[in-house]
Amino acid sequence: MSTEAPVLILENLRKTFGSFTAVDGVSLTVPRGSVYGFLGPNGAGKTTTLRMALSIYQPTAGSIRVLGRPSALEVRHRIGYLPEERGLYKKMRARDIIAYFASLKGMPTAAARARADELLERYGLAEFARYRCEALSKGMGQKVQVLATIAHAPEFVILDEPFSGLDPVNQQVLEELIDDLRRAGTTIIFSTHIMEHAERLCDRLVLIARGRAVFDGTLSEARRMIPRRILLRTTGDPDGLRQVPGVVGIERLTDDQFELTLTEDGEPDAVLAACFQNGLPLLAFDRSEPTLRDVFLRLVGPADAVEEVA
Amino acid sequence: MRNTWLVARREFTENVQTKGFWLGVITTPLLLLLAVNAQRWLDSRTPTRAFVVVDPGGLYVEAIDAAIERLHQREVLREFGQYVSKHALRDEAPTALDLEDTPAVDVDKLIEQVSDANPAAVDAFVTKGGVTMALAMIQGRLAADAPPFEEPRRSFVRVPLPDGIDPEASPADVAEALRPWLRGDRTIPLDDRNVDLFAAVVIPPEVIDHVIRPGGMPQPPSTAESVQFWAANLADTDLASEVERAINEAQRREAFAELDVDEATVRAAQGTSVPMVKLNPTKAAGREQVSMADQIRQWAPAGFVYLLWISIFAIASMLLNNTIEEKSNRLVEVLLSSITPWELMTGKLAGIAAAGLTMVSTWLAALVGVLWWQAGPQAEFARSLLEVVTGSGLLPAFLAYFVLGYLLYGSIFLALGSICNTLKEAQNMMQPVMLVMIVPLLTMVFIPKDPNGTLARVMSWIPLYTPFVMMNRAAASPPAVDFYGTSVLLACSVLFTLWLAGRIFSVGILRTGQPPRLVELLHWLTRRDAAS
Repeated sequence: MSTEAPVLILENLRKTFGSFTAVDGVSLTVPRGSVYGFLGPNGAGKTTTLRMALSIYQPTAGSIRVLGRPSALEVRHRIGYLPEERGLYKKMRARDIIAYFASLKGMPTAAARARADELLERYGLAEFARYRCEALSKGMGQKVQVLATIAHAPEFVILDEPFSGLDPVNQQVLEELIDDLRRAGTTIIFSTHIMEHAERLCDRLVLIARGRAVFDGTLSEARRMIPRRILLRTTGDPDGLRQVPGVVGIERLTDDQFELTLTEDGEPDAVLAACFQNGLPLLAFDRSEPTLRDVFLRLVGPADAVEEVA
Repeated sequence: MRNTWLVARREFTENVQTKGFWLGVITTPLLLLLAVNAQRWLDSRTPTRAFVVVDPGGLYVEAIDAAIERLHQREVLREFGQYVSKHALRDEAPTALDLEDTPAVDVDKLIEQVSDANPAAVDAFVTKGGVTMALAMIQGRLAADAPPFEEPRRSFVRVPLPDGIDPEASPADVAEALRPWLRGDRTIPLDDRNVDLFAAVVIPPEVIDHVIRPGGMPQPPSTAESVQFWAANLADTDLASEVERAINEAQRREAFAELDVDEATVRAAQGTSVPMVKLNPTKAAGREQVSMADQIRQWAPAGFVYLLWISIFAIASMLLNNTIEEKSNRLVEVLLSSITPWELMTGKLAGIAAAGLTMVSTWLAALVGVLWWQAGPQAEFARSLLEVVTGSGLLPAFLAYFVLGYLLYGSIFLALGSICNTLKEAQNMMQPVMLVMIVPLLTMVFIPKDPNGTLARVMSWIPLYTPFVMMNRAAASPPAVDFYGTSVLLACSVLFTLWLAGRIFSVGILRTGQPPRLVELLHWLTRRDAAS
């Protein structure tokens, strides 16, 4: 991770709408050059937090530093933002809309047009450059919008739910695009519902639930949030495995299935070795890492998670 | 500033590319052209209309024929007058024409004399040789390339009763028998064609016993005792009134004879009049006489008020729609991560104003163009209107009030658009605004009658109405205090409304869900963090 100044620092950010508290004391730090995931169920306050980070909303309390400044407005030409809900000017042509947004970000008009053509070419949309946005398919329109977000080559990009509504092929294209940006040194925040994307793309992530950041750290830190488990199938009695350092519990799931709970530094290999030493007749030994989904479910709680998945 | 310009440019290009814009640009001049030429076109398209007269008593048929002939001769003369003014060499002295043994009169005089209901003058014209004589008189004074004079088509021709109808039958039976022709089910020969029968005049002989005379108790006459004018087309009243006048004239001539009064004496008495001129005290000495231009000057502002109203609201509505579009598809979030709400708002206002001004300018250009093209010695109205439109301060006043009025209403509409999520919501919110807006249209007609009266003055000081009412009063040279005072007040109101709208816009544009209540709006306005 870079040692440069963080791109975004939020401290105790609060936002209330009337009597409703949307964001309740969120603090986080986004290091330069990282891909930072925003996870959380609907209504958790993700979008509101992002909007405050962009100075679209004024926070009720707390402080913000974006690219070293107290307000994103001062550095808005260095930021790119893709909002959650998609929209384009229906009557504008794809190339014009990319160039328009780039020019609003301070690019000279001619350079903005050239950049729009270049981006459309690079991401396989060259033939649609002259299409009016109303004639584009939804996925196509979304790609145009993403390109409009990054056209001015921002050093900090915020993507709110960039994957929603895209088919797997286009999701792949978007992942590649995020990868390109990361390689170019761009700092990226993206919020998502799809844990697999977060696992594949994020260096760090924050989990927001009910207006609070319930977790902020790296992916492996997240995994360590919940105990490691081993799924055993054996016809013998695995009780002797309790002696292995790191094993804290054994639970019988069915006749021949057992779930072993390990401490954070418990070694699955040591457990496997112990199985052989004890002569335990193994039918299966599954030492899968906890997924982000497990972390998510555990931290957010099943009630919220159901809503999330739905 | 650059961002405002970028937003404005986008709004302008987008709006100029819409179908609605081009429809607006094209239809208005077309409508103007059509309005100017409609009468001429309709006249040329109306066919000669055939009618029959059923007059078994022989009471009025001659009078009707004579009246129809005179009507035609008047049309011939009018046409002839236009022909002369179009093709006569300009610098020639007026053509002298001896008519009715009066001293020499020029052609214009002749036409003026004959065009009014002055049967004697028409008769004199016909007696002296009609249009043939008139043509002979101006021979040699016509331009070399002048086309030959074409006599206009007759408007009405009396035709004999269709075959198979017994003229000896009672008038009621004849009228009954004529029904299929009058309804258009059957046609009647005229020259070498078959045409619809336009009307039938049925004159029962008994009608002579039921002439209404002064003094008697007016008895509601029964149909059988009246002259009957049968026609399916009720809109064209020319023939009906011509026939009525002819019959009454004939009957009155009879009455003169019965009362032993010399008809010529009566006509001479009727022909007398005392001259009267209308003068306007505000005009320079010697030029006080009220001309047509003066009258137009009095009324033209009303036209401009209407144009102002239409253009302000058409354009402000574009602003509303387009704000809601940006809001409902959340484009506004992207915009506001790049530019401030103020830049967005002013950009939109300016861009759409530019599109609107373009449209209004084409309208004005079309108006002046059409008038200029139509203006000629014969088209005094168009000429005077052109003079008023271009010569007075109406155009600059219009543009100034357009800009101020647009900014005032545009910012209100923008603020409204920013707090609504759908067009439907906006329409509900618009209703009270519409009620307020309709007032200047209602008062538009009254204000010119008393342009410096209490109503006009009071309304001028209400900023929402200032552009319309002051435009309305523009011709009546309102007091300086009204003019400058209301202008300053309007300008201040525009600034205040812009500021107010800016605050509402910056909060409302990102808001979703129900539109805010009034209390909430006030809260937005007073909250410190509302504007970013």
